Amino acid sequence: MTNHVTPLATRGWVPGPRAIAVAGSVLGLVAFWSAIPPFEVRSPLVPIVIGIFAVAAGIWAVTRGSRRVGWGAIASGVIGLALGVAATRSNSSNLETVFTADLIAQILAFATPLTFGALGGMVSERSGVVNVGLEGMMLMGAFWGVYAADKGGSWVVGILGAMLAGGLFGLLHAVWSVHFRADQIVSGMAINFLALGVTGYFFEQLYGQQNIPSGVSTVPNVRIPFVADWHFIGPAIGDLNLLIWIGILFVPLSYVVLFKTPIGLRVRACGEHPRAADTVGINVYAVRYGAVITSGMLAALGGAFLSIGYLGGSFTENMTEGRGFIALAAMIFGNWRPFGAWGAALLFGFSTALAYRLPVYSGSAATLFQALPYVLTLIAVAGVIGRSVPPAADGKPYVKQ
Amino acid sequence: MSEGNAAPTANVPPEQEPSTNFSVRLGVAQRAGGVAVPILTAVLAFLAGGIVVAATGHNPWTAYHGIWDGAGFNWVFHIPWDTNTIHIDAYNFSQTLLVTTTLILCGLAVAFPFRCGLFNIGGQGQYLVGLVVANWIGVSFPSWPTLPHVLLGIGGAALAGAVWAGIAGFLKATTGAHEVISTIMLNWIAIWGAQYVFGQGGPLQGQNPAAPESGSIASSAHIPDFWGTSLLQGLDYGFFVAIAMLVLFWIILNRTTLGYEVRAVGFNPEAAAYGGINVRNKYIQAMAISGAFAGLAGALDMLGFLFQYGVLDVQASQIGFLGIAVALLGRNSAIGTGIAAFLFGGLLFGTTHGLNSNVFDPSLAGNLTSMIQGLVVLFVGGDIFILYLWNARRKVRRRQEAPAPA
Amino acid sequence: MSDETVLELRGITKRYPGIVADDNVDFDLRRGEVHALLGENGAGKSTLMNILYGLTKPDEGEIAVGGKNVSFSSARDAIDEGIGMVHQHFMLIPVMTVAENIVLGIEPTREGVLLDEAGAERRVAELSKQFGLAVDPGALVSNVTVGQQQRVEILKALYRGAQILILDEPTAVLTPQEAGELFEIVRSLKSDGKSIIFISHKLNEVLEIADRITVLRRGKKIDTVPTAGATEEGLARMMVGRDVLLRVDKTAATPGDVALEVEDLHVIDERGLEPVRGVSFAVRRGEIVAIAGVDGNGQTELIEAITGLRKIESGRVTVDGKPIEGHVTARRMLDAGIGHIPEDRHRRGLVLEFNLAENLALHDYDKEPDSKRGWLFPARLVARAARLIKEFDVRGGGPLTRARALSGGNQQKIVVAREVARNPALLVAAQPTRGLDVGAIEYVHRRLVAERDSGHAILLVSLELDEVLSLADRILVIYEGQIVGEHAAGAGEEEIGLEMLGGRKAAA
Repeated sequence: MTNHVTPLATRGWVPGPRAIAVAGSVLGLVAFWSAIPPFEVRSPLVPIVIGIFAVAAGIWAVTRGSRRVGWGAIASGVIGLALGVAATRSNSSNLETVFTADLIAQILAFATPLTFGALGGMVSERSGVVNVGLEGMMLMGAFWGVYAADKGGSWVVGILGAMLAGGLFGLLHAVWSVHFRADQIVSGMAINFLALGVTGYFFEQLYGQQNIPSGVSTVPNVRIPFVADWHFIGPAIGDLNLLIWIGILFVPLSYVVLFKTPIGLRVRACGEHPRAADTVGINVYAVRYGAVITSGMLAALGGAFLSIGYLGGSFTENMTEGRGFIALAAMIFGNWRPFGAWGAALLFGFSTALAYRLPVYSGSAATLFQALPYVLTLIAVAGVIGRSVPPAADGKPYVKQ
Repeated sequence: MSEGNAAPTANVPPEQEPSTNFSVRLGVAQRAGGVAVPILTAVLAFLAGGIVVAATGHNPWTAYHGIWDGAGFNWVFHIPWDTNTIHIDAYNFSQTLLVTTTLILCGLAVAFPFRCGLFNIGGQGQYLVGLVVANWIGVSFPSWPTLPHVLLGIGGAALAGAVWAGIAGFLKATTGAHEVISTIMLNWIAIWGAQYVFGQGGPLQGQNPAAPESGSIASSAHIPDFWGTSLLQGLDYGFFVAIAMLVLFWIILNRTTLGYEVRAVGFNPEAAAYGGINVRNKYIQAMAISGAFAGLAGALDMLGFLFQYGVLDVQASQIGFLGIAVALLGRNSAIGTGIAAFLFGGLLFGTTHGLNSNVFDPSLAGNLTSMIQGLVVLFVGGDIFILYLWNARRKVRRRQEAPAPA
Repeated sequence: MSDETVLELRGITKRYPGIVADDNVDFDLRRGEVHALLGENGAGKSTLMNILYGLTKPDEGEIAVGGKNVSFSSARDAIDEGIGMVHQHFMLIPVMTVAENIVLGIEPTREGVLLDEAGAERRVAELSKQFGLAVDPGALVSNVTVGQQQRVEILKALYRGAQILILDEPTAVLTPQEAGELFEIVRSLKSDGKSIIFISHKLNEVLEIADRITVLRRGKKIDTVPTAGATEEGLARMMVGRDVLLRVDKTAATPGDVALEVEDLHVIDERGLEPVRGVSFAVRRGEIVAIAGVDGNGQTELIEAITGLRKIESGRVTVDGKPIEGHVTARRMLDAGIGHIPEDRHRRGLVLEFNLAENLALHDYDKEPDSKRGWLFPARLVARAARLIKEFDVRGGGPLTRARALSGGNQQKIVVAREVARNPALLVAAQPTRGLDVGAIEYVHRRLVAERDSGHAILLVSLELDEVLSLADRILVIYEGQIVGEHAAGAGEEEIGLEMLGGRKAAA
């Protein structure tokens, strides 16, 4: 960014408490990473030292005002230290089962529906409409995506079908929240119930006991030449589903749209102070309609990833199993910001991946990792580690004068 | 405040219209259309469901008739003298009442905080917490006599639910965290937590190490049946507990100072504070009472007929969420919640186990229930839409009565 | 200033149910002039300006901009005609930068799609230099002072090419220094050929800044006078008027024991401002003490602090001889013997969805006989309500009628009945007749005097000078959070009026 106009603002890069805290968080990861494949340090001293550095960086940042990121670094340091030490004590072959390169691929896969959902929720809430109906919109995308791919014979049609279905439910939510000024929570919950019923009903009606035919066209993987054959990196990112890459691409894209374009500025204005937007001639209703419909389409892409992406052409009733709510949590945890939401989606994807892999150590305790996203979000909304603050007019119907 | 609104109080600007929260709106809507609006809501939802059924090539009349019979509603008309649940219709009816029991309590868990201006989405989580605690207590003291064992199970589960929901109330009161977000999070923590405790290697897993299921509660913790036989899952005395809770709900709200305070906060927190009420305390208390209702629902299910629960059951359970539809359709009143719970109880049982699969496919019908549930919530939420229809009807009638427009 | 008329309002009339906000008002504005619109609260100034800015539609009358008749259906139309408005409550988004706020809606772009932030900041910097409005384009609005926020609002209008600027009570939120800076800005805009409508009820600043002054009173235009030759006394007389003086029959007060003593009270509000700055006074049983002042001078905060609804920063409150110490809550103040008729009966005084019996129990529901050990006795609530409804002549409903269904006057009677029936040592009455019709006003006035005569202390806060003059035994004048004058009953109206308007600021 050029800033020759405002010499007042000090935008030069000085490592402030925030940067130190981010570095601390990374160190926490390193503390853990050092003890697992491919490095697999066997001395507990290494993760301990690195972890302590991370915690120190966090404490330093917290005392200098960067509470949120600082606490993140402290948590990361403690967890990294603990997991790292645990890893050095555990048997090497178990480690190789859990921490393989395709753990990264798996994290990215688990994070993708969350990323789409969280970005969708963010678009809607940034315009001032609370969207607890993400789960339903995602589920609509999952079923109608696979249906359209089946009947249309192409995964492209599937994607379009999913977006249409999600957009339709977005429209429904918009009509209720903007037009009827309904309670947006009630309307969102209604969307969830309705989606569960509609997808289940039509799945039974259209496919009955036969299930989705096995030859359904699915979103292809992207095999990156050369990279795919590299050690470690290859299995991690060399052969990922196209929708994973699209999801990652949407993160900076939505950042640019929301924060670097006139449209984004107007959307945010509607979410912060709709009357101010109205007095400068912005059509608040139109902006909110657009944002909520977009939100439905994005969430539906997350659903389509489940049905015709990662899981390769299938559908089961209530397939999303609460992923829409984790996406909601990721959006809140990420403070209604694209990269924050993505970071949260990755973290939550990581906890899910661990939950699938840790049973090699202990049976059911791994299940508890699935609850981690919700615990973290609960702590975040409670303001223990720097309060998550929604847009000022989020959830408030706007009435023109 | 500028002068424009100082004089004409009748013309209060929209942002100064005091406390247009959801409980106020529901109150207004209720008086505007009386019981007609909720009835219209339900009828519209069933109509829309019927349209879907017809559009997919089934006869909606047959389908609804099958659900009616499946719920055992026909028993009331045909053979009221035959109370032997060996007969299929009577059996269905008893099962409908069994589901109604749970739904009444899950509905109350949503209705009570609503009266305090809070939206409790966490009924499912509170229900599961109650279920887990009831199972734990039920398994733990096999040598106890029935009455104290059941009472301990019920009390412990209600307390656990109260604490679980109380977390959301506490966060709302102290940090201002929105109760909707925190109850959603608490739901999923409970859902995964329940899967953990009942799952393989979990602390409450039963005897079979291969089965991700809880242990069976001791027979001393079974709530006795009063209708039908326990071999066929009869109707237990928990039903009367639920009815008693409806009465208790009404008494708390209308005959205690706590209820007075809760309603005052729900309608207008500022006026309540001006009246000397500690608004924050009311938030915590209202959520705790709500959680107790949901926890009780979990206990009655566990001790009444489930006796055992598995990870798959946790994943499939939706009954706590259905409480939202029950409370909204019942307009958060005791009698309304009772009637709505009965309606949804019939719908739920009549579309699943009770339904004759030759009449209508239960796998379709079960989803029809979710659809109707969604539509009911949608229509209650869009009360302006329903009121619009209601007023349009009256306008049409008025126009018919007075043909010359003024 | 030239003689060219840039704006003309002719015969504007706006009626609301039960009141005419503006009654056949004419107004004109010349190029390069500052035309002040002066009037009390409720005189119709804001309604007139909302009509001019397209936010409200007039029932009658026409608007001409630059000689051509126009009709506005939204703010957008007014903006297109070169009209800009700085609202009393700023229309700014705190989490966005100054530049973003200014360009919102008409953003400069790069490559057609991207927001040109640098360009926006450059453009704002230019404008800010051109009109002498110093702002930092890159700063967040939440981080700049209120005075700077106001400059942002002015720049927002200028960015949209405004030739006519409406400033709605612009000094209400400013410190004296900031107000001084604002006047410099207004003069500079004037010399740039902009025309300015300056809405105020402060005489001194109107005389300082305006070229012409139009006075509104109760929706009617009284006169338009040039500032040269106008005096504070003359304007005050036009504003307040001499008609409709509601005289209340009352005997001289016989003050008894001190019921309320306030010593050096300070209150800090949510924004960190200090609306109450060291207020001390006492109210005795058997007297009505009135606090007179223009809206927004700390009355609301003072009342809330005394009644336990707002935190006291420092100072002491003593009720009926008992000092109130430690954590102050509304409940404690009620129990200490304070009754409170709040200034907004809809927001605070009543639970509109409750029936009258429940509303009448709002303070005492948890005491006998209303309840015992947590059990409520609705029959007793109803019986008491029936008695009070009769005693206070509430019409339009019985104990089971919802408060919402009553008229404003009868709603206020319910509030008065509840507060008076508790037999408080001190009754705080904040704007007790706001929005009531003449009959209800008379009733409330008589009731307050009757309470005084039966030995209660009354603290009256009113924005209506007439009401203060006709009821009070002693009058305290509040201005910018301080008591600037004290008068006995029968004091001169103009003298008090001047103090209220900051015309003669007592050394504090």
